[in-house]
Amino acid sequence: MKRKVIIGLAIYSVVFLLAGAYIIRTIRTATTNLDRLITLHQVEILREHYLLQIKRVQADLTLIGTPHSRSFDTVVTHIIGMGRIIDTCFECHHSPRGTERLNALKKQTERYKEALSRVLTIRANASRLATEENAAFRIGEELIAQVSDVIAFTTSRLAENTQKAMNEIERTKYFLYWLVVLGPLASAALGFIFLTGMTRPVKVLVESTRKLKVGELDHRVPHLKDEFGELATAFNEMAGSLKEQMQKMRRTEQMVVVGELAAGLAHEIKNPMAGIKVAMSVLSEESYISPEDKSVLQKVVAEITQLEGLMKSFLNFAKPQKPRLEPVNVNQMLNTTLTFHLKHQAVGAGGSGKIEIVKEFGELPPTQADPTQLQQVFLNLFLNALHAMPHGGELGVRTFLEEGGKTIRIEVSDTGSGIREDLINKVFQPFFTTKPKGTGLGLAISRQMIEQHDGTIVVSNRPGGGVLFTILLPVKADGATE
Amino acid sequence: MQKRSIIGIVCLLTLLGCSPQEPPAPAKKPPAKKLLIGLIPEQNIFRQMERYEPLAEYLYWKTGTKMKLKILPRYGNIVDNFKSSGMDGAFFGSFTYTLAHAKVGVEVLARPVALDNTSTYHGLIFVRKDSRIRTARDMKGKRFVFVDKATTAGYLLPLKYFHGFGISNYKGYLKEAYFAGTHEDAIYDVLNRKADIGAAKNTVFQRLAKADPRIMKELVVLERSPDVPENALALRKDIDVLVRDRLKDALLKMNLDPDGKRVLEQFGAQRFIETRNEEYDIIVKYAGDIHLNLSTYDYKND
Repeated sequence: MKRKVIIGLAIYSVVFLLAGAYIIRTIRTATTNLDRLITLHQVEILREHYLLQIKRVQADLTLIGTPHSRSFDTVVTHIIGMGRIIDTCFECHHSPRGTERLNALKKQTERYKEALSRVLTIRANASRLATEENAAFRIGEELIAQVSDVIAFTTSRLAENTQKAMNEIERTKYFLYWLVVLGPLASAALGFIFLTGMTRPVKVLVESTRKLKVGELDHRVPHLKDEFGELATAFNEMAGSLKEQMQKMRRTEQMVVVGELAAGLAHEIKNPMAGIKVAMSVLSEESYISPEDKSVLQKVVAEITQLEGLMKSFLNFAKPQKPRLEPVNVNQMLNTTLTFHLKHQAVGAGGSGKIEIVKEFGELPPTQADPTQLQQVFLNLFLNALHAMPHGGELGVRTFLEEGGKTIRIEVSDTGSGIREDLINKVFQPFFTTKPKGTGLGLAISRQMIEQHDGTIVVSNRPGGGVLFTILLPVKADGATE
Repeated sequence: MQKRSIIGIVCLLTLLGCSPQEPPAPAKKPPAKKLLIGLIPEQNIFRQMERYEPLAEYLYWKTGTKMKLKILPRYGNIVDNFKSSGMDGAFFGSFTYTLAHAKVGVEVLARPVALDNTSTYHGLIFVRKDSRIRTARDMKGKRFVFVDKATTAGYLLPLKYFHGFGISNYKGYLKEAYFAGTHEDAIYDVLNRKADIGAAKNTVFQRLAKADPRIMKELVVLERSPDVPENALALRKDIDVLVRDRLKDALLKMNLDPDGKRVLEQFGAQRFIETRNEEYDIIVKYAGDIHLNLSTYDYKND
């Protein structure tokens, strides 16, 4: 965005700079042309003036000796004036050819002045005077012819130059008109492009916010560029986090319901059931009870025991116990669970197939944890694995350290049929189960316990078949507090 | 329409300020005093003006006295102008000064010393080498070009020359006699065969000879006059003494001032020296030798 603004400003600056420079250049060219034209016209006027002055001197010369002859001073003034005009011409810059022409004119003017000086000063007989006057007059006529030639030549050139300069000025005028029209249009177009570039992402973000507001938590902002892209990423992260929080909240609400239900059940069922159980046990011990009836009573006692377990699970889930932390060797605990508790608990859990246990334990430091809760989690996972492989398979258990020794990673995998993709996200939800006799609380309680240890547990299907549960537990040194 | 507008603008600009510019006014403009100073047509009258203009300008800046130069068609006009046009002074030739002093009482101030360290000139009588004219006796029936009746070199010398040969009326002796008006023209007329004999001052003769080698090659000098003072500045008697002294002082000190030195160089002189009336006694004597009465002398060319 910042880059876009800088580029936009740079483009504007460059465009204005170029347009400004061009306008200055064209105005300067036009001014120079006009200046040149003015000079040329001045020179033309000067030439005409020069010609007039020569003609005036010729008239003075013709009138000498007549009643209309002008005074000596007047004639001298006219001649000096004529000479000054040609001297003025030398003040301007000329081409070598122009200078040559001027030198020729100057030379002829000097000849004329000499002849005039002679006419003005000589005193002789009429014939000699006439000769001198004629000589001066002839030189004057030659000078007039010379100047006329120059004027004729330069007039045509002047007309050409004038036309050329006028054409150039005309072109400049049209260019400026176009600039006046196109400049604001181009500016508006550029402004529109930049404005659109800035407002479009804002609009997208506003729309996304509105969708979020109405509860579309799965909505994500599409790809945006620059700083808006970063904003979109943050927005999407926020949406994800919001969704997660919502789910947690929903779970909490469920737990509240379950807790209340469990409390109710505990209050209403637990005591009568305990009484029934005791009564059934005592009754089954009586000698007058037939073996068939005893068997029925023992089944009732077993069912009551299962109901008590269910009640216990409810209570565990609804009102989880605070972990009692102590240093735990995770590998050892896994090993114990696999070799002792699993064998004890797995009776009747597995099918007919053979289960091969593959252990791959990395070196782990002891960490503060509740051994009972961890053991319950591991046992849950192992039992689930066994249930998933009724015809036998491989139960894999791997541990290793991550993030430079800060996290313990525990992976539990099976080679069963895996979980349907549309159900995989629900496995940790309370009361969700795929087993005919399952309570749907095992994984929910497991996740609750792991999260009480500041850890996470996730599930995924393995590419080759089966399920992989991954637990990440932070390593907590002895004495560390939560 | 556009063309007319441009021409209109050009004319306007021309009228407003495109004429040749006058030199800027001095920071402290001296009080306005103006003298009308005459110039004799020693050479082409326009060149003569050009030669004296820088000097007049210099004297104005130095003394505050503005000089308006007035070129005269004839030497003798100077005397007339003192009477008719209110002329205040002039750069006089030796004979015109003697005449003006006698007739209107002008007083000489200073004259230039030329680059060859001379402050005098003399007159020459010359002919073409191929003319076979070598003495006044050979001049009978020939054409003579004088400069002016009011010049020492261009008229007094030939008169004295003819007088020496016992010719008192040259008009009857010569086929034609006329006045060229300038020394230059007199020399060139002989050189270009417009006249057979000529008279002019040596300084002009030498200056032209430097530029045109034909003069030395084709002309021969037959006679020369005594040395007389070079053209000098003289003012009317009634000119303010202060003005006169300032002008004289400025002229005499010109060679000590860098600006003055530059003007002198342009003028063709080393410096100005004080000139006194007595230095023109030789002219009075010269005129006396041929019985000219200066107070009654008719200086107008025929």
